[in-house]
Amino acid sequence: MSSGSPVAKTTIEHRGRGSREWLFPLLLLLPAVGLMLALYAYPFVSSIYRSFLVKGEGAVTLANYAKARQLYLRDILFSLEVSLLSTTIAAVLSIALAAYLRMATGRIAKMVGAVYRLPIFIPFVVVAQMMNTFLAPHGLLNVFLAQLHLIDLKAPLQLFNWKGLTFSFVWKQAAFMTLIVLSGFKMIDDSYIEAARSLGARLPRVIVSILIPMSLASISVAVILAFTSIMGTFTLPYMIIAGEPTTVTVDIAHRVTYFGDYGVANALGTITYLMVSFAAIYYLRYTVRKSIYEVQEG
Amino acid sequence: MSKSRLLTRAGEAVLLIVLCLIIFGPMTGLALWSIALRWYWPHALPQVIGPDYWLQALGLQKSLAIGAVSIMGAFKTSLIIALISVVLVMAVAIPAGYVLAKYSIPWKSAILLLFLLPQAFPQQPVFVNLLLLFNKLGLAGTVPGVILVHLIVGLVFAVWISSATFKSIPPELEEAARSVGASRVTAFFRVTLPLAAPGLLASAVFVFLTSLDEFTGTFFIGLPFVTTLPMLLYSSSGYNLQFASVIAIILLVPSILFMVIIERFLKAEYIGGMGI
Repeated sequence: MSSGSPVAKTTIEHRGRGSREWLFPLLLLLPAVGLMLALYAYPFVSSIYRSFLVKGEGAVTLANYAKARQLYLRDILFSLEVSLLSTTIAAVLSIALAAYLRMATGRIAKMVGAVYRLPIFIPFVVVAQMMNTFLAPHGLLNVFLAQLHLIDLKAPLQLFNWKGLTFSFVWKQAAFMTLIVLSGFKMIDDSYIEAARSLGARLPRVIVSILIPMSLASISVAVILAFTSIMGTFTLPYMIIAGEPTTVTVDIAHRVTYFGDYGVANALGTITYLMVSFAAIYYLRYTVRKSIYEVQEG
Repeated sequence: MSKSRLLTRAGEAVLLIVLCLIIFGPMTGLALWSIALRWYWPHALPQVIGPDYWLQALGLQKSLAIGAVSIMGAFKTSLIIALISVVLVMAVAIPAGYVLAKYSIPWKSAILLLFLLPQAFPQQPVFVNLLLLFNKLGLAGTVPGVILVHLIVGLVFAVWISSATFKSIPPELEEAARSVGASRVTAFFRVTLPLAAPGLLASAVFVFLTSLDEFTGTFFIGLPFVTTLPMLLYSSSGYNLQFASVIAIILLVPSILFMVIIERFLKAEYIGGMGI
């Protein structure tokens, strides 16, 4: 939604009116920034700081991390595995679907374009309830597969574990990723694709040699946002995973609600920050630069 | 040539069917459960169906036999929290979005960064530490406490969407109003704001839906005293699948309805924040 060079003009003009000119805009920003500092930045920093504190001891310690490792190493790896697997599957599906939607015309493509995006709008708590009924041992999926004689209902698929969780994450995130990747694909000029096709390139070749390399930015934003969202999601694993192993987000809730143990909960929280940190830092740098560039250069 | 075209069409049709099965399968499960009065396996479909859980949930029928309660209390709580959140968020986000779109200010990168952090890092640890803070302030387990959490969740999206909306309005229009003598404030209210209204409305609807669907923050700050619809859905999902499915559908319908309408105003990246 950037509007081009006119923005740059006002920017320069506002700047040109002396140093008191930025006082008014700062005042307008103050309520929003104040709220973010008090209710987001403070607890964010405090979650890292408190992960090094143990009740009754003054000094900074790594005890919470030792306990987190001892009790929850399996779950930490589980979270990482499920997040990587779900993101990878969703990325492959979304690139394929976006490529199809970019290239195809006609009524079927239009219908696919309308249907695929529905999961984007469905909140996680509803997705969780849906999957609760859909993936159950005698839920709709198993009954359907049994009708096709693919499985025996006496030994239904057990899906309230990493399999069902991965299915649910892919179900929810692939749609959102397709939307972002497709917006990248749409920016590629038709002439590139037509040129490749006229030289005899088939669809997979066009995807790999033209669409993907020319939309790397959109694809990485999609992958990063999906990965950090999956890693941080509490609702879905909390409602559909039965028993162990489970995700770190569920462990954090247990630590707080059952034990009132904020130290270990914060150590686990900081570990989730670390697990997304590479992706998060790339995304922050990319988006801040893009926003600054859009305003000042158009 | 026409044979390969036929094959392509067939392939497309298969894709559409598989996609529909995957997307609508879980939704169908929800719909069936919401009207299932008796459904024992290995029956593929419910043996007895009826609207009883719907009537019970909407407060139109009171029967002790099916173990469902009315959702009206939770619905009211959710609605009040969402409406107050929208008003507060927009009051704060519109000026902030305007400044970020139109002005060059000091520490701009740092301010942009602050509004991006919740998107880049998991939010759950933040809610956990807000709970500690709110315990001290007496806000834990209260409606104002839950509103504050929803404020933070919605504010980020509202600021980005309003900022993008203001960026898309050519500044010449405001400049023209000012060149004929309008003050900056008048120019904003008479020229820029009306042009931005559709985008700002989309942003308000978005904030309303994030509040209506918010789970994790409400779980930590609100429980056990503040019961919103998602909390009621969670607490009934363990023992009463029908009732939980009814609530899930009630949450699902406005999300899909509103978002299809406002989608064209929103950048893909923001939509991804739905329903955390």
